[in-house]
This record gives sequence, C-alpha cells and structure tokens, in this order.
Amino acid sequence: MPETIDIKLSVNGLAHELAVQANVTIADLLRDELGLTGAKISCDMQVCGACTVLVDGLAVSGCTYLAVDADGREVATVEGLARDGVLSPLQQAFIDHAAFQCGYCTPGMLMSATALLAENPSPSRAEVIAGIEGNICRCTGYLPIIDAVLQAAEAGAQR
Amino acid sequence: MIPRFALARPASLAAAFDAWDATDGDASWYAGGTEILQVMKMGLARFGTMIDLKRVPELRGISLAGGDGELVIGGSVTHREIEVNQDVARELPGLVALEAHVANIRVRNQGTLGGNLCFAEPHSDPATFLLACDARVRLQGRGGTREVAIDQFITGPLETAREADELLTAVIVPSARSGEGRAYEKAKFRERPAVSVGIRLRVQAGVIAEAHVSVGSLTDIPMLVPDVAAAFLGAQADVAAGTFGEALAKARTRLGHLDAIGDLDGSPDFKRHLAGVMLGRAASAALSEAAARA
Repeated sequence: MPETIDIKLSVNGLAHELAVQANVTIADLLRDELGLTGAKISCDMQVCGACTVLVDGLAVSGCTYLAVDADGREVATVEGLARDGVLSPLQQAFIDHAAFQCGYCTPGMLMSATALLAENPSPSRAEVIAGIEGNICRCTGYLPIIDAVLQAAEAGAQR
Repeated sequence: MIPRFALARPASLAAAFDAWDATDGDASWYAGGTEILQVMKMGLARFGTMIDLKRVPELRGISLAGGDGELVIGGSVTHREIEVNQDVARELPGLVALEAHVANIRVRNQGTLGGNLCFAEPHSDPATFLLACDARVRLQGRGGTREVAIDQFITGPLETAREADELLTAVIVPSARSGEGRAYEKAKFRERPAVSVGIRLRVQAGVIAEAHVSVGSLTDIPMLVPDVAAAFLGAQADVAAGTFGEALAKARTRLGHLDAIGDLDGSPDFKRHLAGVMLGRAASAALSEAAARA
C-alpha cells in the first residue's frame, strides 16, 4: 500500500501538518479529517460547484482536487468567511436577498463569489453571471443570488 | 473514490523521466487532474504511480519565443493563465475568448492546455480552434523531442499520437500573417460544447485568399473540413457583400453533408444547423481580426 505523504497547509488561516494518502481529495480531507463539512460533494464531477473551495485564492472543485496538491498552500472554506461571529458582507447579502432555500449549493456559491469579488470588486451583472456560471442552484432561479453578489460588491465599495 | 496510488513530485523534466523509469510503466502524468482524476474516480483507469508535473519548470510559461515570434504555451499552463495573458491577448485573441468559456472557473483554474489536448476529448474547445490555427505540439521523451501537427496528434476519441512515456511540453501556434484572422465560436447547453467551429481566414486585396475551418463535438474527433473552407475562397472579405453571403451559404450546405453524431445536445440535423450558425459568427469575427491585421 502506498505510504502517506506529509503535507503542510493552512485552512482558513490555521496551520495544519498532516499525513495523507495521495488519492484523498481536499473535499474529503476537509470534511472527514478536519470536520469542515461546508463544502458539499454533490455531482462529484466538477460540474455543480457545491464543493468549491479556494486554494491560494483560486476557486477549485474540492471533489477533484487532491489534498496533496494543497501542500504549502492556503485553503479557504465557507467556515472561514465570518470573522469573530460577524458574517462577511457577501454572507449578509445572501440573507438579505433570501438567496438560498435548501442551502446545499450555498457554500460553493459563497466561495465562488468570494473569489470573484476578490479579483473584481465591482463586477457588472454580466460578470457576476459569468462568475457563478459553474455553480448550480435548483431552488432560487439564481436572480436573488446575483442580486446578493451585486449588493456585496456595493457594500465592499462603500467600506 | 479515487483508487490509491503512489505520488511522485519531480522538480525538473529530467527528474520526471526518472520518476517514470522507476515505475515499470504503471504510471500516468498529471497536472490539473481535471480529466484523469475524474476517469480514475469513475473506475475507468488506475495507475500505481501518478507523476505530478506542476513542479516541472520546463512545462511552464507563455512566450513569443518560437521561430518568427510563434506563440509557445507550456504544457502545464492553465486555461485561466492563458485567459489573462497579455501576449496571448495580442497575438491570438480568439484563444483568450475561448479560454474564458472553457467548462467553468474551477476547471479553468486547475486544468491545463496540455492535459486538455492529451485527454483528446472530442468536445475539446482548444483542440478544435488550434486545428484551424495550424498549431502543433512538442512531445518530449527519453529518446528526444518531436513536433506533431494537431491534426496528426489527435488520432481518435481519447487517443493521441503521444507515447505513454512522452510529455507534451509545449503547444506552438504560428503567428498571424498580414491579413489573417482566427476565431472560434461554440454553442453550449452543458459543461462541454454542443457544437464548435474554428476558422482561419487570410484576406488579400479585399478577397478571401486562404481559408481553414475546423469543427468540434460534431464527429468523433475535432477535424478540419477542407471542402467547407474552400467555399470561402475568392469571396469578398465583407460580411455585407453578396459573394460572401453566397460563400457562407455554400459552406453551410457542405457542412450539412457532414456525418455528424447525435447526442444529448441534439440530433445530427440540429447539430449541423448549429454548426452553420457558429460558422457564420466565426467567419465574421475572423474577418474583423483580418481587417485589423491588414
């Protein structure tokens, strides 16, 4: 049986040193080893976006990204968005716009939109739509989500 | 679940080949993993060793350093890196536009151009466009380096001319000549294109003097369609001109004879029709670029 590999990574700012099997995905590591179950495994084939996490600020599909590939990198998950119990402007905007119903896609949506706003703090509506194109929601019809991201962008601009 | 494997993480091309030699051939290269890890997860492939190419510097980088300022894109450059690269934006804007819409942002952040071409999925966006651009790939193995034209490289669905122990180190795209325009258009309803069309036109004295057309997702591999391209020869390089309209109509008729494959995205007839629509858009975009390079 292949040996484990020692990796060092930061998850939501916390440093971890772990020994992992090479075939373990970052989503499984987060969920099963670190207890961070925000990222969901849904389609398990990089289509739905429910498992979206950020690695060094870039959105990736946690279901198809090896934990060993996060060695030396910074991983961000939905659990790290709120600071000291205060929701991020994006999270608050999702509540204000009722931008979720069942909530299953929400962690992925939030992480994709977080990456989008970090790169482009004032996106147009079209850019928001393009940015979350790879995140599927079966409940909302997307409109409240798009409005929420735009509100968060505005809130960010006012700070 | 992805079957277990041993991991090798070489930091140079030489070390990558050493890693391969240490495996008895029960191994696969990977970079982004967006294709190969998926296949492994589905139980369709398993390897004793996976060799991570992301730390190999020789596979990185985009330059105009090829002969005659050709665009050279390293095999492990990601879709996203191409999308935001200024050299590519200047030299081959059609590729930037294409890369901005490959799959989704996560796949673009993670997946590489080299991996996309080596996987040889029949719906590949880059393979279809690069065919029309007359691009070639550089393959390197222990025995040396060779360059293969894309139409010789892709030999079947999910099959290429690459030997298992060879690496695709770079993709090389000839620089645009005076009066040349290159464009790509696709229709998509799901993650991969339903139909895609690549085109390269060269305009001389207001007339289309050279034409190359490729189609993807329509047949079992992306392919050049020379008879469709030939319909444009001699037409005026102006979408409003009568001879252009006649040429496009003739090209669409010839596309209509293609032995297209029906799938979840539509029947053969529907897909041929869509290809004709995409052909018109791509030809128009290519002519605009050609005018800018006149």
